Amino acid sequence: MNIAVGIDAGSRRIKIVLWDVDADRVAAAGCADQGVRQEALATELLDRLLVGQGLDRSAIRACVATGYGRNLLRLADTTITEITCQARGVRYRRPDASTVVDIGGQDSKLIWLDASGRVRDFAMNDRCAGGTGRFLEIVADRLGVSVASLGELASRSAAPAAISSMCAVFAETEIVGLLAAGVSPADVAAGVQKAIATRVAAMAGGRLNEPIVFTGGVAQVSGMASALEAATGRSVIVCPDAPMTGAMGAALLAAERLDARRPVPR
Amino acid sequence: MMGELRTISLADWRGRYAQLRESGLDEPGYGGPLERHFDGGYRRLARLRFDPSPAALRLWNLVLTEEDRLHQARRDGRIIVGCMKDLGTIAVLAWSLPRVVAFYPDGCWWTPCIMEGFTPLLKIADSLGVGESFCPVRAMLGAFLSGSEFPEPDLLVCGVGATCDDFSAIAQRLEATGRRIVWWEVPHRRRPEAHEASVLLPGGYVASCRSVEFVRGELERVWAALCEAAGGLPLDAGGVAAGIRRANALRRRLRQLRETVFLSPRPLMPSLEMLLAEMLAIHYCSDWDEAMRVLGDLCDEVTRRRSQGLALPAAEAVRLFWVNPPADLRVMNLVEECGGRVCGTDYMFTHALDEIPEDLPPLEALARMVLADPMTGASADRAGRICAEAERWGCEAVIVCRVPGASHCATEGIVIADAVRDRLGLPVAEIDVPPVADPIEPALRTRIGAVIEAARGRRK
Repeated sequence: MNIAVGIDAGSRRIKIVLWDVDADRVAAAGCADQGVRQEALATELLDRLLVGQGLDRSAIRACVATGYGRNLLRLADTTITEITCQARGVRYRRPDASTVVDIGGQDSKLIWLDASGRVRDFAMNDRCAGGTGRFLEIVADRLGVSVASLGELASRSAAPAAISSMCAVFAETEIVGLLAAGVSPADVAAGVQKAIATRVAAMAGGRLNEPIVFTGGVAQVSGMASALEAATGRSVIVCPDAPMTGAMGAALLAAERLDARRPVPR
Repeated sequence: MMGELRTISLADWRGRYAQLRESGLDEPGYGGPLERHFDGGYRRLARLRFDPSPAALRLWNLVLTEEDRLHQARRDGRIIVGCMKDLGTIAVLAWSLPRVVAFYPDGCWWTPCIMEGFTPLLKIADSLGVGESFCPVRAMLGAFLSGSEFPEPDLLVCGVGATCDDFSAIAQRLEATGRRIVWWEVPHRRRPEAHEASVLLPGGYVASCRSVEFVRGELERVWAALCEAAGGLPLDAGGVAAGIRRANALRRRLRQLRETVFLSPRPLMPSLEMLLAEMLAIHYCSDWDEAMRVLGDLCDEVTRRRSQGLALPAAEAVRLFWVNPPADLRVMNLVEECGGRVCGTDYMFTHALDEIPEDLPPLEALARMVLADPMTGASADRAGRICAEAERWGCEAVIVCRVPGASHCATEGIVIADAVRDRLGLPVAEIDVPPVADPIEPALRTRIGAVIEAARGRRK
């Protein structure tokens, strides 16, 4: 089996997709928590996935790394930014995608695609945790729940709280104040989701063309997609296997680099 | 056959310098190995990649020895004028007077970068209540108070009004330390009303004649102050006209360099050295003759490279238009490392690159140049010029670099980015660059890399 590897070295998780170049399909995919030993963690995950397929590294024909830790991975042939990889991965899952909203652990992005699926333009949040998965983690921690159950908590809200600050540090202070004032954790959770969605909508500046596909780890938090829909006034589709789209795109781009003449399915 | 040039590190420069010396390198008095500046505290040099030519070495040495020249000017009894905030007009006026040396104290804004934060300048500014909510140019306050960067000027001139709120506040704080400043007002460049006579400015903007008249009056006042500081010299319009001709000679040489580099199909000079070369237009790095010589050498070098088919790697480099200077010089290296090249610029002093009219009374010509500054009008005006320039240079993407704390950057970036998207349909990235950007280098690489990838994807 000939394998093209895509590695997304994200701020919270490392994601890897093995693409079977001969069969044009995903051979294996997996993820692991990120840490200080980024290259070792990526290598361990890669080897584990290969072994699971009865393979070793000799099967690798091309490897593309993406994500904020991409430049630390010497096993990659090349690096490509997560903007391009997310666009490619989303396009594979949703060929009709026009706008991609990607909220990951460290940043949030908007990617506009042209008719052929290429990146036309993009926007990213500033360098702060506001509006990112890290922000949700801080909130969940403060509310004493897991990020995964934050959406379920928010769904019980009767009146989402107004969170005025989108700086993660100041917002935490606000949340403490709201809880002290007797606001329910459910209303705080819903308020935070609304605030993140509003921030993303502002970043778009009205330039949101449907279909809008929502990807990245935060897309899996229940309630976030509907918060985005409310903030943008548009339909939002959650991308299948959202946390993996960056690695998927990297694997597809690796396969394309391997043989530029050979079309890879979209 | 195309040859490839490689940028080199500071450590590489040691061997390269020895090699050049052996082959008879012609050096000016301020010459020498680049590493001596590192030894003197300019630690950031160790993180930069440099052009390996003698012309680039001379450029770096000129830029990094300005302090020595100013101290020498003081010892020689010359009159030192600090031209603050204005980026290309008062310096022309000051340099037209005999025995006057004009310099740009605002240039200290790069000190926190070049010294990698190991400087007391910002702490001194903090102690005066000018903290990090201000642009890094606040380092200038520390420079004045410590006397560490330049000798105390004999005269300080500062533009105020439609220039920069941060800088006005910083300069006012400086004045409160007991220094006399000759303030002059730069009015907002407004669209002339229907009944007003108007004038077409260099660069293409239009202003009312009344605005030009007002600025001319302000310049006359500054000119009188300069002549008085220079020992009671008479107001000599012929001298100013000669000063304008000298400024234009330098601007023409810089234009030749920019056109050769920006229009070349392959990268002939790194973006970092081009940024430094453009800075010479503001006040000649306190030595017009040497600035001319340096630009001449750079022109010769890029012309030689072009004729010999030599270029930096990345033949497919994406042509970028760059807006605003980065507070960290290292970011200019990132452009090339990410597969781009800078082929058009607006570093906030484009009016210092345009030629000053020589067929007008000198102060009238300078007044028009003041109003031709894109920074003194609406952000939409500046965005319009940026779009026109990006199109002219054939740029494929635009990077708007923001300076943390700089008040105009907070809102202007969006206006420029929207204009580029709407009018040119090019991808745009907005980036924030602090004086030492190492901790956010991965994020900067992502933004710069993504805009380059997007532009490259559009070629297909």
